[in-house]
Amino acid sequence: MFKELDPILHSQLRLAVMSLLIGVKEADFTFIREKTNATAGNLSVQLQKLKDAGYIDVVKQFKDNYPQTTCKITPEGILAFEAYVKALQEYLKV
Amino acid sequence: MAEEKKLSEQESLELISAMIQKVKNSYHDTGIGSLLWGTVVFIASFVSFLRFRYGFNIGFDIWLIVMGAIIPQVYLSIKENKSSNAKRYDDDAIDAVWLVFGLTIFGLSFYQSTVGDTTTKIIQEEGWVMMKHYINEVKPDEQLRPFALSPYSLYILVYAFPTLVTGMVKKFKPMIIGAIVTYVLFMISCFVESQYDFLLGGIAALLCWFIPGVILRKKYLGQKKANV
Repeated sequence: MFKELDPILHSQLRLAVMSLLIGVKEADFTFIREKTNATAGNLSVQLQKLKDAGYIDVVKQFKDNYPQTTCKITPEGILAFEAYVKALQEYLKV
Repeated sequence: MAEEKKLSEQESLELISAMIQKVKNSYHDTGIGSLLWGTVVFIASFVSFLRFRYGFNIGFDIWLIVMGAIIPQVYLSIKENKSSNAKRYDDDAIDAVWLVFGLTIFGLSFYQSTVGDTTTKIIQEEGWVMMKHYINEVKPDEQLRPFALSPYSLYILVYAFPTLVTGMVKKFKPMIIGAIVTYVLFMISCFVESQYDFLLGGIAALLCWFIPGVILRKKYLGQKKANV
């Protein structure tokens, strides 16, 4: 029996964000937007969903008088991502 | 990128791979730091070699240029930190290794400049002195100030350490090769006159930092061009 894929992660932009954050300690909003080619509004909504799920931490601060949003994957996020990849591998029998 | 697009399992896996690859490609050392240190350490080492070999004086301590390079390095670090919009897990570790390297170099310089006087004082308190005695007695014995033997060999050894760590962590072959060759240069330096240690140290600076710096710079400019 296949495990159900996590609906929070099984969405293009949220999965892209998590795949980026798994490889870095933390990343700015601009970095994520640049790499995913998402619009700022759409990205903000999806980051909030990931934050609500407890998969990422979002820190808003000021850097050189400019607002800066930094995102970081949480331990729960890492576990969820690993479980998602494992489930995918089962589906695809990789 | 559309938010609600549902993915097939294969597409999901491809997306994960693509994003991980994008993170890998986004990391680019500008190479400026490596070029800066490779250049100043090479110049200081090579001029020291020439000075000892041909016995001339340039009027100031050439190693001051290495001290002077700290100022542009601090500026570069601040600038790179400001422009960086993602932090990798290994960044902190690599920074720590180079900070410890800097402290070690400072420690070695401190040791070299103080150990002679301190030893002289201690042995005088114990009631003895170090003497230089010519075997064939062409010259009379003379009192010798204690000194660190072939100290630049130790610097060469220390140059290899952070370079090898960085090369291994970043999987950057030119630095790994440079560091390994530098360990060999260190061993060679233990068997040659001190003046040649400086020549070997200059070669080490080229291999550990300057050449990897040129390669990094070329890569960085290539990536920058591709992103335009």
